[in-house]
Amino acid sequence: MNLLLAYPDGREKDDVIYSLPYDIDQKCRKVNGHCVFTSTQIEIYRNNEKIHTYHIDDFDEIICEQLIGSSMLLGKKGEQTKFLCAFSQKFFLRYAEISKLLDYYKRTGELLQENDEDEPTCPKCGLPLDGAPSCPFCGKKSDYLIRLIKRTGPYKWYFIAAVICTIVTEAVWVFLPYLQRILIDEYITPMKNVDSGFIMIAATMILSVFFVWGLEYINMKSSFKVALSVGRDLRQDVFSKAQQLSMTSISKRTAGELINRVNHDAMKLQDFITANGKDAIVKLISVVILGIILISMNFKLALLVILPIPFVALFVSKLFNTLHIRYGRVWRYRTRYSSVLHDILNGIRVVKSYGTEEMEIRKYQDASEKWMKSAISAEVIWSVFMPIAQFLLTIGNFLMLYAGGKMVLNEQLSLGELVQYTTYVAMIYGPLTWMLQIPRLLADTAVSSARVFEILDEESDVKDKSDAISMDIHGDITFDDVYFGYKAYKPVLKGINCNIKEGEMIGIVGHSGVGKSTMINLILRLYDCTGGRILIDGVDIKDIAGESLRSKVGVVLQETFLFDGSVYDNISYAKPDATFEEIIKAAKVANAHDFIVKLPDGYNTRVGDKGYSLSGGERQRIAIARAILHNPRILILDEATASLDTQTEKQIQEALNRLIKGRTTIAIAHRLSTLSNADRLIVLDQGKLAEFGTHNELMQKKGVYYKLVMAQRQTTKMKKVVEAVS
Amino acid sequence: MLHGSSLNFIKNDSGFLSLEFEKKKYEKVILTRLIPFYSKNTYISVSYEDEEKNFHEIGVIKDTKDLIKEQRKMIEDYLEFKYYMPKITKVHSIKDNNRGYIFVTVNTTSGEKTLAIRDWYSNFKMLNDKMLYVVDADGNKYYAPDIYELDRKSLQCIEMFV
Repeated sequence: MNLLLAYPDGREKDDVIYSLPYDIDQKCRKVNGHCVFTSTQIEIYRNNEKIHTYHIDDFDEIICEQLIGSSMLLGKKGEQTKFLCAFSQKFFLRYAEISKLLDYYKRTGELLQENDEDEPTCPKCGLPLDGAPSCPFCGKKSDYLIRLIKRTGPYKWYFIAAVICTIVTEAVWVFLPYLQRILIDEYITPMKNVDSGFIMIAATMILSVFFVWGLEYINMKSSFKVALSVGRDLRQDVFSKAQQLSMTSISKRTAGELINRVNHDAMKLQDFITANGKDAIVKLISVVILGIILISMNFKLALLVILPIPFVALFVSKLFNTLHIRYGRVWRYRTRYSSVLHDILNGIRVVKSYGTEEMEIRKYQDASEKWMKSAISAEVIWSVFMPIAQFLLTIGNFLMLYAGGKMVLNEQLSLGELVQYTTYVAMIYGPLTWMLQIPRLLADTAVSSARVFEILDEESDVKDKSDAISMDIHGDITFDDVYFGYKAYKPVLKGINCNIKEGEMIGIVGHSGVGKSTMINLILRLYDCTGGRILIDGVDIKDIAGESLRSKVGVVLQETFLFDGSVYDNISYAKPDATFEEIIKAAKVANAHDFIVKLPDGYNTRVGDKGYSLSGGERQRIAIARAILHNPRILILDEATASLDTQTEKQIQEALNRLIKGRTTIAIAHRLSTLSNADRLIVLDQGKLAEFGTHNELMQKKGVYYKLVMAQRQTTKMKKVVEAVS
Repeated sequence: MLHGSSLNFIKNDSGFLSLEFEKKKYEKVILTRLIPFYSKNTYISVSYEDEEKNFHEIGVIKDTKDLIKEQRKMIEDYLEFKYYMPKITKVHSIKDNNRGYIFVTVNTTSGEKTLAIRDWYSNFKMLNDKMLYVVDADGNKYYAPDIYELDRKSLQCIEMFV
């Protein structure tokens, strides 16, 4: 990151290590300031005049604090905090980097000089390239179209068959007017008797119709094969990519939006590639062939037909931008509608229990209405301008009929030739009118293709290395100076160092938001740490293949998620090839077998959406059975018994005690009593590892853990007093 | 709720606020707009962090109007800085690059600029029927309190994207 962004005028650059501008003051006024760091000093400039100088050692810590709309750099010494400068968020990441480097300097005495190269950005739009070889935003729009067409590659023979059938069909339709002309000029106009020639022509015309039916059949069959296969591939790719993306990427989008992209957008592209893609080729060929025939038959008449086309093309191209914006709007409202629907149906229990059905119906209606109105607005534009374009296009037909009629009267053209000519003109207007729809199709498809390729092109920030290894995990876990923040500049975990031995039961305790679940997320590698490393059996977690890691880690969470299916399906989810005996054994260890037996359909009982037909304790026991069947070497229990009553908690605790035997177990619990059987406890405080040891050691230490235990005992005592009084 | 008359805010040299309240002095108090999108100067939470960074709320000021003039200005200035958010006064154009970004050229109370907005369907949105809320790629926030008070062209531009 470039931390030498701008210097105050006249300031020597030799001793400067970092120098950044700042753009506001504490009264939100725009200012022209610079903050210059040398190896010993921090100099604050305003309008190129030095206004303050501080010694770096004047402060214990240099903090970059992000407020809601602004940010500031602060120097902290003991309880005193000194304001250094304020800036808009544009400079925040750079100042945050300086703060991190100065923190490193304070700890190690080494002042690192950053590379003055910024991350590569697009020369055109200035946006970061994010590791891509070229800007994904400034690429040619046709690139996307080509990528879409390439998707038909695996089905090219079907596609070619469909195109050939359509071309031959078109050719037959072109040939028929020629036969008509012979009939008119050689049999009808001279009122000639029926002979073998007449019968041959009539028979050819009838046979042509049957021939076209046959071609249409092959065409439709091949087209559907390509259409449905490409659609399936697209949906599959978007879905697979969504599965591979990191939690950071997934949490940016609502479930409804992802569903919309997998279903609707992929479907749009499917239609575009096949139906319209094939049509485009065929219609273009038709226009070229018919154009050549018209010109060769009569150049003057052809000119009259072609005359309005450039004007119509210009008119239609102008429509594209207006339509694109409107279809983008339709997309947004449809996505919002999907999200609202998904949200309401997901929370239907809450809706019903609060009796807010009417409110939700109104919310749904509003979303549905907005979608409808946006679609009407887009379609109205289309339906207003389309007839105008069509009329302009067919003006040539009237001109041609007038001129052609005069030619017949002047005997410059036969009636048969005119009929043949007008038939071809009518035929050429078909593909031309279709081409008028291209802006609408492109506008609509561009919106969907942008959404689909946005996902397909997204690089997962947690991905396996090319040489990632699969290994047998035993369960030794080491946190080596681990730093992590969901936003890189705001660490949740700071410098965590600890070693968890194979087979140990470890409890993580601390206040809410202190980073307990974050530690677990890092072990699961849902996120990568921003500093330091996590080792499993001495191997960096980033070098282990994700599949290998997760196959040996089991999780039981507070909120259990069961898929809509049977009890059997949900337990065997962790090991689809498990025998029924293994499933029963797991259920028994999890104290789940007894309640499953009482269910009407036993292990085949459907658990309903998210397992709502079962109680919280029952769902939890199924989750434990699932974890047992998974047979993990590392087991994670995140508040696994937090929301249960005492009796159920006892049953589950029994099951958990059986489960944790011989496995490395990491448990989080607010109720410290549930961690009584932990070998050691990690105590987190303000993102740092404050204490690590056995319960007795930590109690003797009388530190953070001691205070937590005392506070909880006090609360329990008070509860008992309240219960006794009431 | 805190009564304005019982509060005495003091601004120190570094610009941070201390509070004298009920014979106690709280250093470096934190002021937070509880409903920042609905109101700038009502329902302001006053809090502080102890040595162990534990959060403690002293109370809530219902309306800064309840404070005396100097005190009111002091905390309103603090809030304006904390929630620094230039107001959009005119929208010249909005260009969609069809890849998830829009580029919005606007006049704001901090000058004319072109905002690059990433994931724009999340970061260029209406918070209610009138208020437009914008977060650019750097994380800077902008707003238009009532889009219907903007000129016709600005409104037309915005309406196509919200």
